[in-house]
Amino acid sequence: MKKTAVEPIVGRYTTVSIMGEDCRIYFEEAGQGIPFLCVPTAGSDTRQFRHMMCDEDITKKFRVITFDMPWHGKSYPPVGWEKREYKLSGELFMQTIRSVSAALGLDRPVFMGCSIGGRITLQLANFYGKEFRALIGLEAADYQTTWYDRKWLHRSDVHGGEVSAAIVSGLLSPTSPEVHRQETLWQYMQSGPGVFGGDLYYYHVDSDLRGKLGGINTKTCPLYLLTGEYDYSCRPEDTLRTAKSIPGAKAKVMKGIGHFPMSENPAQFKKYIMPVLNDIVKREKKS
Amino acid sequence: MAKFEPIKGGYVNLTIDGIEYRVYYEEAGKGIPFLLQHTAGAEGIQYRCLLNDADVTKNFRCIAYDLPFHGKSLPPLEHDWWKERYLLTLDFLMKFQDAFIKAFELKRPAYMGSSMGGHLAADLAYHCPEKYCALIGLEGSLVTAPQHSRHSANDAYFEMYDNPFIGKEALGGSMDMIIAVQTPERRRKEITWCYNKSGPGVFAGDINYYNHDHDLTGKADRIDVGKCMLYLLTGSYDPATKPSDTKMLADQVKGSYFKEMENLGHFPVTENYDLFKTFLMPVLEDILKREKGKR
Amino acid sequence: MSGASKTSMERLEEKLCTRFEQAVPKRVNSDSHFVWRGRNLTADCLLQIGSVQYLIRFEQGAIKECRRGLPLMCSWDFAVRGSARAWEELWQDPPKAGWHDIGALIKRGEMTMEGKLHPLIANLQYFKDMMELPRKGGSK
Repeated sequence: MKKTAVEPIVGRYTTVSIMGEDCRIYFEEAGQGIPFLCVPTAGSDTRQFRHMMCDEDITKKFRVITFDMPWHGKSYPPVGWEKREYKLSGELFMQTIRSVSAALGLDRPVFMGCSIGGRITLQLANFYGKEFRALIGLEAADYQTTWYDRKWLHRSDVHGGEVSAAIVSGLLSPTSPEVHRQETLWQYMQSGPGVFGGDLYYYHVDSDLRGKLGGINTKTCPLYLLTGEYDYSCRPEDTLRTAKSIPGAKAKVMKGIGHFPMSENPAQFKKYIMPVLNDIVKREKKS
Repeated sequence: MAKFEPIKGGYVNLTIDGIEYRVYYEEAGKGIPFLLQHTAGAEGIQYRCLLNDADVTKNFRCIAYDLPFHGKSLPPLEHDWWKERYLLTLDFLMKFQDAFIKAFELKRPAYMGSSMGGHLAADLAYHCPEKYCALIGLEGSLVTAPQHSRHSANDAYFEMYDNPFIGKEALGGSMDMIIAVQTPERRRKEITWCYNKSGPGVFAGDINYYNHDHDLTGKADRIDVGKCMLYLLTGSYDPATKPSDTKMLADQVKGSYFKEMENLGHFPVTENYDLFKTFLMPVLEDILKREKGKR
Repeated sequence: MSGASKTSMERLEEKLCTRFEQAVPKRVNSDSHFVWRGRNLTADCLLQIGSVQYLIRFEQGAIKECRRGLPLMCSWDFAVRGSARAWEELWQDPPKAGWHDIGALIKRGEMTMEGKLHPLIANLQYFKDMMELPRKGGSK
């Protein structure tokens, strides 16, 4: 498909108050229709959704919006960042998403998040299901174990960008196109010091959601869970176990994909996301 | 619903020497196109205050881009960039300008760049003045490193700033040294954050142009400001490029404009935009005067 | 050990070691960019494939020595030990999900990293790419 020189994505800035703190937030959007708010993986930014946002099959029916969380990408950290350690909690994460959604005037958007964004989908479904039309969790599970010490990610004697990228590099499918694999890793290399590790604090403080998702009602808000087969941070069996415990949740394992589906292999990811989006469109037409 | 800033960001795909790049840019305003080049290892967000300044954007279509590998501009697409060392060259910078100008069909834009961008203003004035209506160099000079230590200066930067045993904050800490002492703390920290999140090897690779590729010794006197006016401004508190360094260049370019900016350091646009604006506006007014009736 | 009485595990280890020896030292040292990526790495690594141990001496990103069997009273900075199955699976092309990366193998208990990990972690991508060289025909 021939690309036009200028892409259809538009980026903008606005100031959002998040839990009492003003944050300059950068967001991007493309398309029109059902508002579709997307959140990337830990330590990363809006570029993870660039392929989706240039795909007319999606943007002709969905207004796709993604944003850089504070401390990420073009959303710089709040004033006084140098005096504290960045630590993301589930509560801060949920309120960030809700505050940005409200600031943009989104009416019950579809929400999709990946990795920590996938996990927060479960908590959004549990506490705020009524505020969304549908929730899509990519690489999401109620519980998963780690294999490395987070402290390596932010040290004065280790390049945090290189080590962050190296640690997540194994989560990419070896069958994903190399240029997309490298592009995904590049974003980790650019991550601000302590940001990736600070995002992962969310897994530490809200480490075990098993038995804590009783508030999810998939009749109010459908829940879709998609996980790449090569993801060993959130393994397919972790997601399937999670789905089994949530009545009405729909789960699928994505072949040939790792932890970063929309970024590492957009063509393959499209095969799995389109049925979900079509399902959502069908539901919208009915209601 | 929240209020949005007037800045609009976007992505353009450029092809340079057969390689495709996805380039991020931000723009605001109408009028004379005004290209804004960031410093080494940094990104276009350095110009965020300018892009929000209606006094400027009412007459200028301000466009701040991220060079490839910087900010939201990716490394080249469809090219095995991870198998190569990143080194910025004058040749690439000039081709980038051409490609960007062509993609947006800009007619004789104005250009402003800082630090390595300041050097580039002088290089553009030498190589292709006819493509621009005005060239503004901030913190620019004739040459950076003395010729005899050119290569060792390059290697030292890689040793320090592209080293897996040195954390990312080393770069922000280093840049802190060349920010004016009068700078408000929040602005200082904004600058250091920008550098802290730089991709590995990018700053060091940019220094290849800054230290190695930029040298107008013996050539600057051939710059003809009749073809395009060259404005040179440098902060009095900049130890990396001292005002006397810039004046040396200005003295060789007959008819060029030189101004020392009191109480500003190496990052005038970001350190204290309100103060920088007092130096910028006379330059912009001069450009508007020169361009009156020409567009 | 005479070939006639080798167990299947011994035969597997031998096959893996041959593959490793053919791929790794030469392909690293002949790729100048690869060596440049590891220019800050000077360290001694113990690498274990099943029961077979190697001493790999890195010097500024080049492999100065890759020796099967440790010399007497040998010291090393860090060790990476994997079961034979771990290496066999890692070097499949394409590898199976969950066996495709050193991190995945550590998580499932088939591989460990020990010792002074600082030089390894700081140069992790270099090291991972080096360990995956036997998977394909060319260098990464």
